[in-house]
Amino acid sequence: MLTTDVLVIGGGATGAGVAWDAALRGLDVVLVDRSDLATGTSGRFHGLVHSGGRYAVKDPDAAKECAHENAIIRRVAGDAIEDTGGLFVTTPFDDPSYADRFADGCRATGVSCEEIEPGVALKQEPRLNPAISRVFRVPDGSIDVWQLVWALAHGAQDRGVRILPYHEVVAIHREGDEVRGARLRNARTGEHLDVEARLTVSASGAWAGQIAQLAGIEGVHVMPGRGIMIAMSHRLLDTVVNRCQMPTDGDIIVPIHTVCVIGTTDVHTDDPDDHTVLQEEVDAMLEDGERLVPGFKRARALRVWTGVRPLFEDRKEGVASTRDVTRAHALLDHVERDGVTGFLTITGGKLTTYRLMAEETVDAVCRQLGEPRRCTTATERLPGSEDGHYYHVGDRLARREDALLDDQLICECELITRRRLEDAIRRQGTADLDDIRRALRLGMGPCQGGFCIYRATGILHGVDGLDATSANTALLNFLAERWKGVFPILYGDQLRQARFDEWIFQGVLDVEHLPSAG
Amino acid sequence: MSPTLTYDVLVLGAGVAGLTAATCLAQRGARVCVLAKGVGSTHLAPGTIDVLGRDPELVREPADALPGFIAARPEHPYALVGVDAIAPALEWFSDCVEQGPQPGYRYTGGLDRNHLLPTALGALRPSALVPETMAGGDADDGTPVCAVGVRVLKDFHASLCAANLELGGLRARAVDVHLDVGRAEANALGLARRFDEPTFRAAFAARLVPLLRNDERVALPAILGLRDPHGAWAELEKRVGRPVFEVPTLPPSVPGIRVYDLLRAALRAAGGRLVIGAQAGSAEREGDRVTAVRAHTSGHETIYRTRWVVLATGGFDSGAIELGSDWQARETILDLPLRGMPVPGEPRFVADYFAHQPMARVGVAVDSSLLAAGTSNVYVAGAALPGAEPWREGSGEGIALASGHRAAQSVLEHEGAVSAA
Repeated sequence: MLTTDVLVIGGGATGAGVAWDAALRGLDVVLVDRSDLATGTSGRFHGLVHSGGRYAVKDPDAAKECAHENAIIRRVAGDAIEDTGGLFVTTPFDDPSYADRFADGCRATGVSCEEIEPGVALKQEPRLNPAISRVFRVPDGSIDVWQLVWALAHGAQDRGVRILPYHEVVAIHREGDEVRGARLRNARTGEHLDVEARLTVSASGAWAGQIAQLAGIEGVHVMPGRGIMIAMSHRLLDTVVNRCQMPTDGDIIVPIHTVCVIGTTDVHTDDPDDHTVLQEEVDAMLEDGERLVPGFKRARALRVWTGVRPLFEDRKEGVASTRDVTRAHALLDHVERDGVTGFLTITGGKLTTYRLMAEETVDAVCRQLGEPRRCTTATERLPGSEDGHYYHVGDRLARREDALLDDQLICECELITRRRLEDAIRRQGTADLDDIRRALRLGMGPCQGGFCIYRATGILHGVDGLDATSANTALLNFLAERWKGVFPILYGDQLRQARFDEWIFQGVLDVEHLPSAG
Repeated sequence: MSPTLTYDVLVLGAGVAGLTAATCLAQRGARVCVLAKGVGSTHLAPGTIDVLGRDPELVREPADALPGFIAARPEHPYALVGVDAIAPALEWFSDCVEQGPQPGYRYTGGLDRNHLLPTALGALRPSALVPETMAGGDADDGTPVCAVGVRVLKDFHASLCAANLELGGLRARAVDVHLDVGRAEANALGLARRFDEPTFRAAFAARLVPLLRNDERVALPAILGLRDPHGAWAELEKRVGRPVFEVPTLPPSVPGIRVYDLLRAALRAAGGRLVIGAQAGSAEREGDRVTAVRAHTSGHETIYRTRWVVLATGGFDSGAIELGSDWQARETILDLPLRGMPVPGEPRFVADYFAHQPMARVGVAVDSSLLAAGTSNVYVAGAALPGAEPWREGSGEGIALASGHRAAQSVLEHEGAVSAA
């Protein structure tokens, strides 16, 4: 049994943001997630830090919010952000009249925006479609979401927050009209753990309806909007590029670390855990890429994944929509809405506004606790971002050069050294290579783990004396997970790469015939 | 005007299949040239000759299992070349090893019984014909194993290998040898080059001996030299006073490079020519015959005229067969018809990593003499052939050797007919 002020359910950017915010305000916090941190919606998007441009016409309030938060998170979370800048380009496939509306929208919403000559943009991004007619420069950026969420988590941990990944909420403790905590199930051991909390915050995004139901609260309806994203090998572009049109499918390419990501689609689904990738979606996405970057289809597609947007709709009878309906996120005060104390739901929204969502949530927590405390997340820099510098794509190479003679390179694609890998294994306390993948980008590069995953398994086995069966399981799980993201997009040189990887794993190492215990 | 060279046979691809076909032809007096974009799969593979390892259960005796395996798979390369073609191909290879440039180096085994050799993970792989330097790892030998890691080599983890051998029922433990090579890492190839130096062998043995116990055999990553692996291995066994065997590492594969070196030497000894770094471009045709291939080498084009072509360029792995983003597959050099493609609407790949992947058996369509469909002078060998799944079957080198032989034989039969006429 754990006792705390605030139990936060959901370890995405919002939940980790709430934990960090509440910890800074001196509250005692327990943060739980059914899986690793940032494996739901947060870990499954394209990595865009919105300038607000994408909403400038469609949703002015969201645009204002993004513009405001963009400036803040660049300041407090620079270590996770790359200052790529962004372009909105009018291609021959776009309605040319949108460009003027876009410029007006940016002006009206405070989104920094400057029109530049197409020639200037083409000089900066030579692979862009040369037929673009108008170009606007905006302060988009890209963000390593795992870097962000783990920085929030580590900062919170340093202030006493207890973080329990792989702990699923199986029941919400409710007495009368009061929520008093939750029962967790350790996904690895099956053991149960009760948490008694003065306040329980559901920051479970697309899963918020499921958590609300456990608390006996009806009508919290989150319609998951499923979208696919494809990571392409190398940075075909060094700047975020959006099509200058009403936001739609496949109209944005985000350079991030060693890859670039094209997104996304929007298909309604009933199940937030639905990760179906349809062939038509893949084909359409590749065609869309071709419109922005001619030759896109000949580049290597590394991995495809889906994420679900939490699109909130309040279906409680008699609740008039008193909130501003254009707002992308929703904070539900269940005292006001349902007469239930001790429980808050925060859902909807987007990664760029995670901090604002956390601030509003912890404000509401403090109100319910009757302890007004000031939010400081707009000025407090996250661990790793103290120097205020942005991440730069050459940083890892610079570090590698420094340690050239005295450290081994385990993942050549993502420049991960043995020491860094061993540190991460110890710090995360995990035997799951997918957790390490997210923390370090292990195996995320062009070879998709072909070389580094055998090495990492050997090192995992060596660190802390992990038994062979667990090491084998980690390896096989990694390969199975990877294959799910790889098989729908195998063509061209990446098919060749995949065959080479299979050669190593199934041929040289014969992973399929590893011994098993007993 | 591009320079023109004329050969009897042009072999495309320098893997085991291509080098085998070319060498056999050259040994029988044909004027042969091998054109290859780069070195073949030898540098990636463990260097063993796998003929049939799984069906899908473990095969202990390939000679006994092959007839049934072939009967169940009429489109498999083994079914085309015939079961009787396999043993002579293996014997031919063993001869090449014995006459090869690595003094005393030899392979042991054959079709009667598969060796079960540890992988770098400690799984056990079945192989028919194996380098003498690996044979001591056979799991049928009950002697305890001491797996020796070399700290600078990140591509072999002795402790995991030993732990899995234990899990598999062998007695095993692991030790690490610390070598100072002036930096934190060296790959298998770099270490193998060091093992060609007598002083390095002695120094390595001196570090290893104190770590060993009485009754154990010593598993080392496969780094025991390129020029004289037999000498390095025999010397190490003598110095440590125990059996020593090599375990294949991640690529680059040292035993695989030895295979390439010895086949290349055999080709040259027979008068064949090998051009690496040649990107085959367009082909010239007369009716259903390919009469010339234009190839680009270091910035210039050469026209290679020929009477016969052996296509041994591999499958999807080498890029010789390509799947486009439009999901159409094609053979990239001669645009030959393919076989085994899933029909539209069928999945190309399935979500389960270990399940049979429908695309895995795609290859160039051939008749039973390995003649490519739609041609009268192009024979196909090795991984370009359809109908096999080499890693799952443990059959890659067996197919390469047997089909390389068969392709050569098919050419020679026709040449004989032409000469006789």
